[in-house]
Amino acid sequence: MNAITLIELSKTYPGGKKAVDSVNINLSPGEVFGFLGPNGAGKTTTVKLLGGMLRPTGGSCSIFAIDSVKEPEKVHALCGVVTEHAQMYDSLTGIQNLMFYGSVYGLSSSESQKRGLELLNQLELSEAKDQKLFSYSTGMRQRLSLARSLIHQPKILFLDEPTSGLDPESAQNVHGMIRHLAKEKGITVFLCTHQLRYAQEICTRYGLMDKGRLLAEGTLDQLRTKVCSGAVMKIKATGVPSDLSCHQTPEGVLEIPIQSEEEVPKTARRIVESGGNIYHISTKLPSLEDIYFHLTNRKENCR
Amino acid sequence: MNTQMAAIIKKDMQSITSNKRMFATLLIVPIVLTIFLPSVFILTLYFVPEEGEELLQLLETLPLPLQSGSSLQSMILLMLNFILPGFFLMIPIMASSVMSAASFVGEKEKRTLETLLYCPLSLKQIFRSKVTASFLISMVVSGISFAAMLVVVEALSYTITGGFVLPDIKWIFILFLVAPAISLIAITLIVRMSAKAQSVEDAQQGAVFLLIPVLLLLIGQFTGILLISSWLLLSIGILCAFAAVILLNKSMSHFQYETLLKN
Repeated sequence: MNAITLIELSKTYPGGKKAVDSVNINLSPGEVFGFLGPNGAGKTTTVKLLGGMLRPTGGSCSIFAIDSVKEPEKVHALCGVVTEHAQMYDSLTGIQNLMFYGSVYGLSSSESQKRGLELLNQLELSEAKDQKLFSYSTGMRQRLSLARSLIHQPKILFLDEPTSGLDPESAQNVHGMIRHLAKEKGITVFLCTHQLRYAQEICTRYGLMDKGRLLAEGTLDQLRTKVCSGAVMKIKATGVPSDLSCHQTPEGVLEIPIQSEEEVPKTARRIVESGGNIYHISTKLPSLEDIYFHLTNRKENCR
Repeated sequence: MNTQMAAIIKKDMQSITSNKRMFATLLIVPIVLTIFLPSVFILTLYFVPEEGEELLQLLETLPLPLQSGSSLQSMILLMLNFILPGFFLMIPIMASSVMSAASFVGEKEKRTLETLLYCPLSLKQIFRSKVTASFLISMVVSGISFAAMLVVVEALSYTITGGFVLPDIKWIFILFLVAPAISLIAITLIVRMSAKAQSVEDAQQGAVFLLIPVLLLLIGQFTGILLISSWLLLSIGILCAFAAVILLNKSMSHFQYETLLKN
């Protein structure tokens, strides 16, 4: 059974703005799905549609075959959601907040406390557990939101920019935790972000959105094949034949576009046979960032 | 009622006591209406008896039991059973408005509503929990206010006239029927406005017009046009209770996640 299913999902706001346009996605349990796109691409709207907070104007979406519109409370029991708009109570302390949400999710008071303390410890918030939320920094709030979303041990985690406002160390910690949750606990993660480098580190599949449309979807290899197959061979050498199409970086490294890694030994042989010397060779496959920019036409070509 | 709903009710009720500004608002109005106002009335009647002459004329038109005892005692009784009910009814309206505005619009304003809506409770259950919390606070404030008012009136009556005055049956109708019913109406109105209101103040302003019928009732009392009889109060109470139930059910059926979160 799919963990998340979107079939021709569309949402047009009353003003006429089409935020999500016929999106199709199927996710298996345990996948870490990077839902990528610029601000206004429709990522948050999609999360709200999946959580039942918005009604689709077309298509449907479901969580473990439960329709988000028809049975939102059942969907909520299976999901944890972290979004910028879902805040917690400033007048309560960190642990009080977690205990409150634990009890609303049906945990007993002692269970909520135990689980809350564990999560605070994992997210390095133990020292601030008795501080009221108004004294928390943005990063601490963000981590507490993540703890809140995990209090009831959800099967699916919707994370909308979970590391915005976090310092690199905390962001790394959160990413490690997401990876662990997916790998060890089999939690499906639906991660909305525009931090493409981080996404590439932790996601197993990607969906690239722009202006409400899903431009491409698949694993990194699939996206490379579908969108931007060309790689770049980086070579530091002398005596390179003049007819070899290449671009020289300011550091003196030559970048030669290639279609596949098979071309690397052939090109190297040509340089050597023409009397050149090779000091270093590497190949660079298109990164997620390259694919993303290629798709959104922000850069004309893959680097 | 399940434990999840009870958690929301408990949290909402605790949040009112931890918010000093809101707690002060909840305290000040009942103190003025149930302690300060009756004290001023009684002390005025005692120290400036000529001011009470018009009240004495009114006394003559009243049913017999009120005319027993000294004229000062009768006037205190008149105040307790005919004037104070009007003022008292402002308390449940105020308390439920403050509480429900904080509970619904306050959560929206502080962006905590969305988090709550992601919980595995139906919209109706969340709605019911919040209405219950507002209603309970309103009833607790009204009950304590009534007790405080009675203590003040009886203490002053005993000190000045040497005797106690008895609240009549209409206070039973007020406490157990009219006050709960108008609390529910006020809560429902605030909740209905919560979808459109952007701030707690916006929502509270909407409940102000509920005070108009109460003020008219008070003016009627003072001018002698309309005297609140027990039966009139009972009828008003039943009518309000019906209106509250209908309004509440209608509001519940209107709610959707999307309308609640709309900015």
